[in-house]
Amino acid sequence: MNRLTHVLLGAAVIGSLSATELLADSSAEIQGLEDVKNFTLEHNAELVTNADLMLGAVRTYAGIITAHDGDYAAAWKADGPALAKAIEDIRGLWLKTSNQYETMEGIVAGIPATVKYDMILDAGNPGTESEDVAEYDLTLPDGTVLKRPGSLFHHITEPLFWGMDPVNVIMTADLNGDGNIGRGEMLFDANLALGAAEALSYWAKALKTELTEWKPNRDDAFTAVVTMTPTVGDYFGEWKESQFITGDIGAFVAQSRLVDVQGIMGGCKKMYFSAISPVVKATDPNLDQSIRAGFEELLALVKETYEREYAGEKFGTEEADAIGNEAQDIADRIVAMVLQAAAKNGVTLKM
Amino acid sequence: MKMKIQFRHHLRWIAAGVVLAGTALALLLIKVEAPTEEGVKMTDIPYYQLPFGLDENGNERPFWPSRMTTANGRMSDPVRIPSALECAECHQQEFDEWAPSLHAVAGIDAIYDKTEEVNAGLLRHGTEQGRFCEGCHAPGELLSGRTNRFVSVAPSDALMEGVSCIACHTAVHADPVAGNGALTLAINSGIDKLSPALILAAPRDHARAFGAVETNDLIAKPEFCGACHTETYDRSMSRAEGDQTVQATFEEWKDSWYAKNDVTCQDCHMAPDPADYVMQLRKGKVAKPERFSHRFVGANYLMFDTSLGSNLTFLRGGLIRGLDRERQNKLIAAQGEATKRLLRTAARLELRGQSKIDKGMHLDIAVQNLGAGHNLPTGVTDQKHMWLEVVVKNAKGETVFHSGGYDALLGATDPDAVAWIEEFLDEDGNRILDHLTFVTAAVTWQRVTIPPRGEDVVGYDIPLPEGETGPFTLEARLWYRVALQEMVFNNLKIDMPIPPFELTSLTSDLSGTEGLVQ
Repeated sequence: MNRLTHVLLGAAVIGSLSATELLADSSAEIQGLEDVKNFTLEHNAELVTNADLMLGAVRTYAGIITAHDGDYAAAWKADGPALAKAIEDIRGLWLKTSNQYETMEGIVAGIPATVKYDMILDAGNPGTESEDVAEYDLTLPDGTVLKRPGSLFHHITEPLFWGMDPVNVIMTADLNGDGNIGRGEMLFDANLALGAAEALSYWAKALKTELTEWKPNRDDAFTAVVTMTPTVGDYFGEWKESQFITGDIGAFVAQSRLVDVQGIMGGCKKMYFSAISPVVKATDPNLDQSIRAGFEELLALVKETYEREYAGEKFGTEEADAIGNEAQDIADRIVAMVLQAAAKNGVTLKM
Repeated sequence: MKMKIQFRHHLRWIAAGVVLAGTALALLLIKVEAPTEEGVKMTDIPYYQLPFGLDENGNERPFWPSRMTTANGRMSDPVRIPSALECAECHQQEFDEWAPSLHAVAGIDAIYDKTEEVNAGLLRHGTEQGRFCEGCHAPGELLSGRTNRFVSVAPSDALMEGVSCIACHTAVHADPVAGNGALTLAINSGIDKLSPALILAAPRDHARAFGAVETNDLIAKPEFCGACHTETYDRSMSRAEGDQTVQATFEEWKDSWYAKNDVTCQDCHMAPDPADYVMQLRKGKVAKPERFSHRFVGANYLMFDTSLGSNLTFLRGGLIRGLDRERQNKLIAAQGEATKRLLRTAARLELRGQSKIDKGMHLDIAVQNLGAGHNLPTGVTDQKHMWLEVVVKNAKGETVFHSGGYDALLGATDPDAVAWIEEFLDEDGNRILDHLTFVTAAVTWQRVTIPPRGEDVVGYDIPLPEGETGPFTLEARLWYRVALQEMVFNNLKIDMPIPPFELTSLTSDLSGTEGLVQ
């Protein structure tokens, strides 16, 4: 073998190795994109489950009112505790359902085929606004049709269930039985509640159909990671705040959700490691290593905090503050690095 | 001879050394002669969005709708911005004064943070529109490019510190008429990164960086404060068609007795004991404070109410970094006392007149602004408001008239109370109670706030029950509250009544009312 043959053979070996590596990377990315889709579908399934549970609780509430021929005062007098329990259930399930949606909102809002669902469920304005209108009408059980009423979570159900909009408060009621009528202690319009809860369930399922058809690409994967990872910081921030709040003032605040954070963060890490890391590593191995280390660090912090809380440990104000800040800081850094990597790889993020 | 041989032997190495040294020197000179511009190019911040178009001269405006900007127009590099904790290594007293202040938590306190978040959620480009708020509340975040849908700039300690040392001590220009954060900060070029040892070795360099003459002159003037304490809405950040003045603290001061006597914002709010200083002014004694404190004592009593326990920590957005809990509680409590004392210097009530009317009596009560160098109240007056409670009792001590009552459980005020408050209205004319700036179309007043050294006389027609006899007594209280309950409930998602603060009160026997037998 002469020198040239050696060189050519060497080049062929290196070339085939590179091709194999590229193929492996490409195949890893394909698998990763499948993970992104599965992760999104898992959260959509949770969204549907919680929306249906909430619908069940609203049906219980509306059933009591209907049993008294729509006489709220009579219903309260006869079945006050049952109504109070139904409202408590509805609020708890609303928070779970809404949080579940927030987790996947970045993806839903970023995909052209599903953006209308983001408008209907969470982000859209009523028809009276000039832009970003939620394009749907809401039909209520009594036949009333509300034309373009705005998003189901923020324009209808949240203000309805917490009595923020006086128009839909039917009467005040001492829900917690403490002898006083505090803010948010009221019975709301059952007809509107039932119509809105049914619509939430319907649109959550319709979104699932749309997402099942979705074929994610590299841009989607980056969008998913950079929109979901900050929600971990937000959840931790809420957890931190919940550690500060004492007394009855926090009735409206979601409970500590470190278990949710673990699930979401695990999903973000999986998406990054499988779908994005091969891409980043090819152009900037050090950046990839830093991002991976960031995910490991954040997950370790989440896991440790959750285990301590699960074991019954109560966190002091200073420690809760420090942990919450640290988690938000790590999440922020991860996102900044992933965005730097996205830019280096010419990724178009879905806005 | 031996020397010469040795020299010849080493000549090649010596020559190489000379060449290397020369090259190094040349490179150094090139570096010195051609410094790179400081700060970060906007185009180097991935995915930074500019949804608001160009300015009237066709230039990009990276921080709009805030009017804040950097001196060289570039974004700031968070790594280069010193945190207040670093400054505290030498300026401990100033840090201890500033740390519990509202300036320190301006970007993270829950009332601001949640309300900004709710506003941002109203629009597709709501996050970017939030630059309007962040300019004054979190200038470090804004100027480094972190107020963006996708945040590709890593955080740093300094960015979380709200209005911190560098927000004032790098300022080179202010426009108090335009407001909306109309400050120019030399945050890229006007700072050093010297270690404490080097600062001690070369204090002039440090002084030049943070104590430039133009900066020192500017930050001593009310115009500097006015750049943020003036707020005007237009289509850039709201639904208002024309300019809607929302905060006019600087304007209120500008034509006042205080301005004419060179009594500035800094004199009152940075005096070591603001209440004492104001009382001295009320007596007509005009003199500058002996020193300026960094406590910035104002009117927000809630954020210093240590009786709220850890709920106060929630409201403040967490603990103060760099101080242990015991120390910060002490500092917050001290600031709270100073705030309450200052508030009590602001107003007075006076019974100006009383007369008999058909089936009752008429009272005129003057509400006087005696101590504030701006209107009373001032600032975000769709939330920060004042109302008058009036109680008339008969000879048996029974209440025969009550206006302006407060329900402590619900945190609700009598809707018919006489109140000094702005009303935000949406495009349909509905009142917005939770400070949703981004959908506010118009601003009106229930009752216009009271100018410095001015008064507002409120008339009450008081119906008296038939057969009720005098003499009657009047009890009046002037209440101040920093936020509407609806804002706290809707935006913070908590059910915590916001307690009001009694600014002043008046008790008076209504002499001559003995004859008011109905």
